[in-house]
Amino acid sequence: MTHESKREPGGRREALKAIAAVGGAVGCASLAVPAARFVLAPAKGGAEGGRWIKTVPVASLAEGEPKRVALIADHRDAWTLEKQVELGAAWLEKRSDTVLAWSVVCPHLGCAVGRAASGPGFYCPCHDSSFDGDGRRLTGPSPRPLDALPTRIEGGIVMVEFQRFRQGTPEKEPVG
Amino acid sequence: MPGLRPLEDWFDERTGWRAAVRAWVNHPAVGGGPWARAIGSAVATCVGILGLTGVVLMTGYSPSPQGAWASVAFAQLVQDGGWLVRGMHYWAAQALMVLAALHVLHGAFVAAYRKPGEIGWWLTLAVLGVAMAQGITGGLLPWDQRGWWARVVEGNIVGLAPVVGGWLQQMMSGGPELGALGLARAYALHVLVLPIVLVGVLWARRALALRVAASSAPPATGTVGSRLASGLLLAAAVVLVLFAITRATHGAPLDAPADPLSDYPARPEWFLMPMFALRKFFHGAMEFWGTSLVPGLAAGYLALLPFVDRRDGRRAAVLLPVVGIFGGAIALALVAMRHDARDTGYVKARAKADVQALAAAKLSVDGVPPGGALEMVRRDPELHGRDLFDRHCASCHVLGDLGDPEKATATDLDGWGTVAWLEAMMHDPDRPQFFGRGPYKGQMPSVDARPKDKPPGEKWTPMVKSDADRHAVAVFLAGQGEPKPASPEADDALRARGEKIVSDHCTACHLYKGEGDDEGSKMAPELSGYASFAWIRTQVANPASAETYREKALDEAMKRHMPRFDGDLSAADIDVVARWTHRHSRETTLAP
Repeated sequence: MTHESKREPGGRREALKAIAAVGGAVGCASLAVPAARFVLAPAKGGAEGGRWIKTVPVASLAEGEPKRVALIADHRDAWTLEKQVELGAAWLEKRSDTVLAWSVVCPHLGCAVGRAASGPGFYCPCHDSSFDGDGRRLTGPSPRPLDALPTRIEGGIVMVEFQRFRQGTPEKEPVG
Repeated sequence: MPGLRPLEDWFDERTGWRAAVRAWVNHPAVGGGPWARAIGSAVATCVGILGLTGVVLMTGYSPSPQGAWASVAFAQLVQDGGWLVRGMHYWAAQALMVLAALHVLHGAFVAAYRKPGEIGWWLTLAVLGVAMAQGITGGLLPWDQRGWWARVVEGNIVGLAPVVGGWLQQMMSGGPELGALGLARAYALHVLVLPIVLVGVLWARRALALRVAASSAPPATGTVGSRLASGLLLAAAVVLVLFAITRATHGAPLDAPADPLSDYPARPEWFLMPMFALRKFFHGAMEFWGTSLVPGLAAGYLALLPFVDRRDGRRAAVLLPVVGIFGGAIALALVAMRHDARDTGYVKARAKADVQALAAAKLSVDGVPPGGALEMVRRDPELHGRDLFDRHCASCHVLGDLGDPEKATATDLDGWGTVAWLEAMMHDPDRPQFFGRGPYKGQMPSVDARPKDKPPGEKWTPMVKSDADRHAVAVFLAGQGEPKPASPEADDALRARGEKIVSDHCTACHLYKGEGDDEGSKMAPELSGYASFAWIRTQVANPASAETYREKALDEAMKRHMPRFDGDLSAADIDVVARWTHRHSRETTLAP
């Protein structure tokens, strides 16, 4: 027992403790909050709409024959901006006067889906998912069909709406 | 050293280091059998090697998508000793994982988890966990195909987790895609956060073991000092073994630069192969639970061993699941590797990836552009041009081993633009490998063979009067495709003769230097610069440019005509595929 605490039972000591606790908490928070915001920043930002990207002339597609085309647009990765680079690719297939498009990204875990070794349809080399000519799942672990992308034709050019989807879910959930 | 005595005294008076060293040397050594001590020392040695080589590697590493692969390739291939430091780091990391697993297995067999060893046991498990986390984060740092694709798939697996999955995946990848921030995050974890955790865990583990040793009666066998010599010897042996492995393998593997648009056959790191194999048994909604639950149960069982084992003598029942976990993991990994080895599609894709890795490594030695290694790869005809030709041209054309002669519908490009090709084509343009199977069939007459539909007796004059003239035209045209005519100067006269024949006779339909086509067919191609790099580039971008083929090339009537690629491929890609085509059409020869 010090001389001081005898004179002031509780009072000043408790107040000092409280001030120290509050001051400490404020001090820690003013460090922790910006640090946490910085670290959590990339997790922010949900799904936005897709981007319409110009691809190839309809005339370059053969009826019923899938063709892999590059989706070329500006690509932003954190601080870098690349002008007119391949963002991804899509399988395009002409069916009379419409064009169907599927993302080449496997809905399972995101590997690149190629043509089946023989016959129509598509195949993913990572976990052996296979899809028929309409993108429907035939075998393998993929939880959903190939992701169809909206298309429209403008002045003879096929426009594709590029969009990423969350992998491994039974429904198409847009991301990014 | 007697001369240093005063200096030692000076420090001892101020720090008491002599007493501290004496206390440490005389402290009872960590208990456990010789195996436990040997594994512990080997783990410590590996961690030491990893720390040392890791800091050295940091002095030559650039953690950005543009710089990562290039800096690792530079360290590996150019910088003195780089392959050795990197190899030692890589193999020490693999050894650490094996040793950490052995430590767990050994601990289970000698019941190291029993009181008072529970916390030490959990820390042993934590060492294995951190070592695997280091393997995953470290595998990404070279930003090569292997590491990048493994991380993309692993990130998507994390994304399967309920509620927090998507959030966690974005946190790891640094955004919706694995990019610059994801790499910087893996780097921060790998070089600072996880090493601190690992050293902390190892230190705590040792402190607990020393505490047990000090309090046990009779005291543990020997002191720290009496074990020092054997420990150092073992450490030296570990270093030598890792050195030998590094020498034998010439360091750590480095795949081609990460390319998000490639068809890479992604596979996980070897220590995750059991999970990869497990995945094949669970589909759809079961996938996350199946592939997380099984490893989760295994880890949970190991963590709860102290409570499962009740010392009632049924050790076999307790240990059987432990053997099952490790044996099962090894068996699953072997099954997956065997499956891959027998999968011809995978073997082919892997072989292609290996060829690309080697080619990229060779290119990088001459320097990587500031845009990064991927830019380097994308500007290289052999690496990317061939790929583009395969994807965009080989469905109609044949060149070298690309394209199928049975299915081709356009000109065979083997030997295209060479003297032999031109001479043969001028004589018989409608041979299938020239224009016979394409839209230009019947458009070009033979320069010296009488047309079959000419009635006999009707007057007909060949465009070239002799084989020598035809040869002169071929030599002249072949020279158009070269930046500088490569043939001897004696050919100059021949070329001049060829040029005269072209100007006099061919420009009835063809253009030469923009002039000609007196008949206005708007079909036959420009012959100046024919089959040169610039000519091919223009033709690929737009076959109806009139600088190569002509305005009518894209007409509906021209069935299966060549498409324009200027909307489909970037200008840089067209450049690269044209360069590859130019080079390889000249390096191949016309099929008989």
